[in-house]
Amino acid sequence: MRDPFETLGVEPRFDIDLDKLAERHRDLSRALHPDRYAGAPAAERRLALGRAIEVNDAHRVLKDPVRRAEALLRRAGVPIGETAEPKPSQTLLMEMMDQREALADARRSKDLAAVHELASATRQREHAVLVKLAHAFSAGENHAEAALPLVGELRYVRRFLDEVSAIEEDLAP
Amino acid sequence: MQLLEIFDPKAAPKPVGIDLGTTNSLVARVRDGKPFVISDCNQNKLVPSVVHYDPRGRVVVGHDAARLAAEFPRETIVSVKRFMGRGADDPETRRLGPYEFAPANSPEEAKTVRFLVRGKTVTPVEVSAEILRVLRQLAEDELRSVGGVVITVPAYFDDAQRQATKDAGNLAGLDVLRLINEPTAAALAYGLESRKNGLFAVYDLGGGTFDITILLLDDGVFQVRSTGGDSALGGDDMDRALAVKILKDLGAPTDPPRELVRLALDTARRIKHGLTDATQVEAEIDIAGATRTLTVTRDEFEALAKPLVERTGVACRRALRDAGVSPSELDGVILVGGATRVPLVRRYVEQLFGKPPLLDIDPEEVVALGAAIQADILAGTKERADEVLLLDVLPLSLGLETMGGVAEKVLPRNTTIPAGARQVFTTYADNQTGFHLHIVQGERELATDCRSLARFVLKGIPPMPAGMARLEVTFRVDADGLLGVTAKELTTGIEQRVEVTPSYGLSDDEVEAMLMSALDHGEEDLERRQLVEARVEAERVLHATRKALVADADLIETVDERKRIDEAIAALERAVSGDKQSLIRASTDGLDVATHDWAGRRMDRAIAKAIAGKEVELVEQAVAHAKGVDAHVVEHGRADAGLPAAES
Repeated sequence: MRDPFETLGVEPRFDIDLDKLAERHRDLSRALHPDRYAGAPAAERRLALGRAIEVNDAHRVLKDPVRRAEALLRRAGVPIGETAEPKPSQTLLMEMMDQREALADARRSKDLAAVHELASATRQREHAVLVKLAHAFSAGENHAEAALPLVGELRYVRRFLDEVSAIEEDLAP
Repeated sequence: MQLLEIFDPKAAPKPVGIDLGTTNSLVARVRDGKPFVISDCNQNKLVPSVVHYDPRGRVVVGHDAARLAAEFPRETIVSVKRFMGRGADDPETRRLGPYEFAPANSPEEAKTVRFLVRGKTVTPVEVSAEILRVLRQLAEDELRSVGGVVITVPAYFDDAQRQATKDAGNLAGLDVLRLINEPTAAALAYGLESRKNGLFAVYDLGGGTFDITILLLDDGVFQVRSTGGDSALGGDDMDRALAVKILKDLGAPTDPPRELVRLALDTARRIKHGLTDATQVEAEIDIAGATRTLTVTRDEFEALAKPLVERTGVACRRALRDAGVSPSELDGVILVGGATRVPLVRRYVEQLFGKPPLLDIDPEEVVALGAAIQADILAGTKERADEVLLLDVLPLSLGLETMGGVAEKVLPRNTTIPAGARQVFTTYADNQTGFHLHIVQGERELATDCRSLARFVLKGIPPMPAGMARLEVTFRVDADGLLGVTAKELTTGIEQRVEVTPSYGLSDDEVEAMLMSALDHGEEDLERRQLVEARVEAERVLHATRKALVADADLIETVDERKRIDEAIAALERAVSGDKQSLIRASTDGLDVATHDWAGRRMDRAIAKAIAGKEVELVEQAVAHAKGVDAHVVEHGRADAGLPAAES
């Protein structure tokens, strides 16, 4: 797969301006969307479709902090994926397990306030990890490996937040 | 002006937009840059989506059919859209209604409902095509010749429902340029009219479907952030709830006769309409010659409708969350669909989003108007094509069934389309020589709870230990939201490809056969139609190429390349003036080949411009093109449009 930073023509960094990224995506879509080639010969339409898909995919990757971090690691030649990365720390696993139990309890007792509390605590934690990641990546590609455990933590935190949001939605009046 | 158009014998085919609704359908066109709904000779804009089959085998559509519905409930299909792309055992098919269904003879047949009407079976696709034919006639009466068509579908329609709608369009003899989502069409019409920018929610409650769409309007780009809904929830359900109460009040048996069911549903609809302005409605109902009078208050009706309206809130909250937006960030809420006239719905929307909805648009016309604008853009006739762009999303996740029956998502919902993703799978048993692939759509964990779109087998994999084979599956969703899947086995160097277009129970052959029998002179008509389509396509391509020659002639690299392009243009022009379909197609392909490399360079320039922004454009104008652009072309100049890889 082509590097998403290159596809969108943006500087490869972690603390990316998401509004600017969205704007770039819109500008490229204006140039490449299949609708722009509605009257064009078939081969040109196929070409535009392929490019538009690539641009949409790159935007999807860069919007997501986990996949954005993975793209940066890939650029730095750091192997990623469950088997390639070091195991998450015992502390992190224990913490996540406690959080998960607290969430399950709150869900069972339909305690929306408790769910909100867990959500806001986890969002603070997410924010902290994002700041640390931006810092790790700004040290340059040679130090990218330092970001690996943080990416692992971010994955856990984001997955937990997805579950929290789903439960918040279920319990909403 | 209008008369001239009607009598101009050389009138070029004109694009139209169609809102194929559950209750009513409309057709619209653009004239002098503004969209209009086309009315019939009685000034009716709405065509009731009702189809009646008479004893002599004739088909009656619209107002006349609606009048026959009470007397012939089995022979008159109302709200056919609810059955599009649905199977015989779908819960939707088994709801309160007067129809008779043909038994399915095979599992494949069971994937589509078949109505039994006067001893014959008809599919929802054929019934919808009858409605579309009437709309086409309506448009032809005004425009003489109809060109490309954009048909709207609920945003929450799945792949099977979309495919069925497209087939219905083809069956009605229409050149379907694109299916677009109803809320997006509405936003397009509203946004262009109001010239507003900002974040909007479109709340679309129609006769049989509910959609919620959050989208950003930014200087002509209409970007959908998220969409959600319920493709089996609408104003019809309010009628049905009220009809159940009416039947009970009348003391009807638990399994009432079909005529009575139809009568109760129609009475309920009239009462619902009356309660929009009145707080109490009296309705007369004739049963077996005796007239009974019913009184329903708005409070009573709202008590019945409330649970249905509240169901829309679940989808709205999820769409807001998917878009990462809170209600206070919205600049406005646009109401679409006849059922949003119900006062309870308006109050609920206001409470849900914390602001009164925008009421300065006609909720019943706005979708057709948007479709007409998009048709105009896609036909490439308007300057507007360069100003307006719709960026829509996939409404429901697409995935594959994996071990244990789990649905593995390959493309998640609310992914901007067109979209593509690749996923690699492996074998779980030693010496496994085939892969069963089951493509599903939906949000549920288990594949059996999702919508099954297609199954196929990739065979001939050489025996290997478990986990060794590498099967790469590629999903590709085009701008219509329609899916194509290919699969290949990587490790052995043996590359197998299987193209799969999901089906909903009607095979291509069946659709073709329907098409033949629908045309009076079968083959002859089909050929003529194909000739017209080939010409329209050729004209489109010629127009686009000439336009490109004005803008980007400097990107043609050699005198020889220019000569090849000019020759291909001349050949196509000659072919179009004749009437050999095959020659027109071949010459269109010829131009295609001649312009291919140049097209790649033009696309690179478009990308370079988009990335470099306005400054470079200005520099470009001042200093002539050359250097700046070339540098970008080199940087981004990988001409092959490779598929995007996604997850590992």
